[in-house]
Amino acid sequence: MRYLASLVAIGVVGAMAVAGCGGGGSSSGTSGSGGGDFVAGAESACTAANKQIAALGTPQQEQVTQYIEATEETIEKLHRQVAGLDASGATETAYVEGLAEAIPVLTKMGNAARNENFDAVRELSAGLVEIKLGELAEAAELKSCAEVPVSA
Amino acid sequence: MGRLKQLKLVVALGGAIALSASVGVAWATTGATTGYPQPKHPVPATVQAPFEDRYVLTAVGSGAGIRSGEMKFEFEEGSSPQFLVGISQFYSYGPTGEIETGLFTFYPPKELPNGKGLGFTALKVGASAQYGQLTEDGELRLFTPEGAKMKGELRLHGGGPWPVEFKVLDDDERYTASPPAARQIHEAEPSKPGWGGEPSEYEGEYELTNGAEDPTAKAGSLGAVIGVAQGLGVKGAVVSEGSMKVEGDPAVATVELETGDTNRTFTLTKLVWQGDQRVAQVHNEGPDSPPVGRFEGTGGQGEVKGDLVSGHSVYKVEFKLK
Repeated sequence: MRYLASLVAIGVVGAMAVAGCGGGGSSSGTSGSGGGDFVAGAESACTAANKQIAALGTPQQEQVTQYIEATEETIEKLHRQVAGLDASGATETAYVEGLAEAIPVLTKMGNAARNENFDAVRELSAGLVEIKLGELAEAAELKSCAEVPVSA
Repeated sequence: MGRLKQLKLVVALGGAIALSASVGVAWATTGATTGYPQPKHPVPATVQAPFEDRYVLTAVGSGAGIRSGEMKFEFEEGSSPQFLVGISQFYSYGPTGEIETGLFTFYPPKELPNGKGLGFTALKVGASAQYGQLTEDGELRLFTPEGAKMKGELRLHGGGPWPVEFKVLDDDERYTASPPAARQIHEAEPSKPGWGGEPSEYEGEYELTNGAEDPTAKAGSLGAVIGVAQGLGVKGAVVSEGSMKVEGDPAVATVELETGDTNRTFTLTKLVWQGDQRVAQVHNEGPDSPPVGRFEGTGGQGEVKGDLVSGHSVYKVEFKLK
């Protein structure tokens, strides 16, 4: 029961986070200074985020929870950064929304990992695959954002 | 409690169980199943009647990975001619000892040759216990009960058959949590060294033949975490690429597996075989590191396939000698 309650609580927090992030995104959705600033800003933010994720390396079993938490933190930060930029077109907005969509999935994965429910972690990751964030980045001409971080 | 209410309880709790490995499921074997049509090949009620009872699992083949279980068979209400439907809850061992639960129903009854007993298709219960919304997952063969004991054979998830033994529960016998652990029946372990009669049969470089599409390819910044996650879980991690090299005396296998952009290297030692069985010990950090799991599979004629278990992860692999 406590597990279900925590899932519900996480869902609410996740929904609030998405709602909050969406608010930020909508303010930048108005046409403004143009896609150039967005692309440059997003590329810079993605390069930094991918570096941080790559630096995490490949975790051992007991490190999976921390790995997912660190990734979630990085993606949240990346989302905040690109949502604060001036997305000028549908493809750019779709990329920002894709990042927002990933955050609650990562939260659930972290929760499952903390419960050592590794089957659930794997199954939940299908939700991340479905977002096709790399494709969204390519469509928005965000080359760095389309790259998969590779651990050293 | 009405039959429909009982079913709803089974369905609702089945979903909850799928979410957590909590126990306390006496309801599973007191619940009911409904909506089962008349079997195409009716079995006389007199043949089925000795099996109508509640049971606890007392012994099971170790290969099934089942710790304990409860089962109930009852005649479908209002059926004419009568036919039995069974429902069970099995508690399974995860690779590191955590307990997982699985609900199954058994239908339709079929008479085994020579009056040996009854066979049932095993139907896995997911979100619903309603017939038509279940998936076939194996077979349960039950041999005619002898007193309070009943033996049989179980096939699940494409594995088995594993021997099973049940004991009839008294009317007032209930479990408030998971039933006691069943005795594990150990099958004959392969014992011949290597993975074949002659080293030339199995030594060499292998390629993976069951690689799946790389799930991280179009995932951008999320690719790394997907790669890590897809390598987890006991239901078979998604392997996109891989290779294996078997060499040395005693033979050691080095297995490289790729899940997305995440590469993993495993060392397999203590390779043994018997017939088409192929078994080995799995290490994460070289042959001298502590074992973290086991490889169990089949092989021969330049092919090896099976489950490579490493901690919480199971990699389903199929290799072919280059």
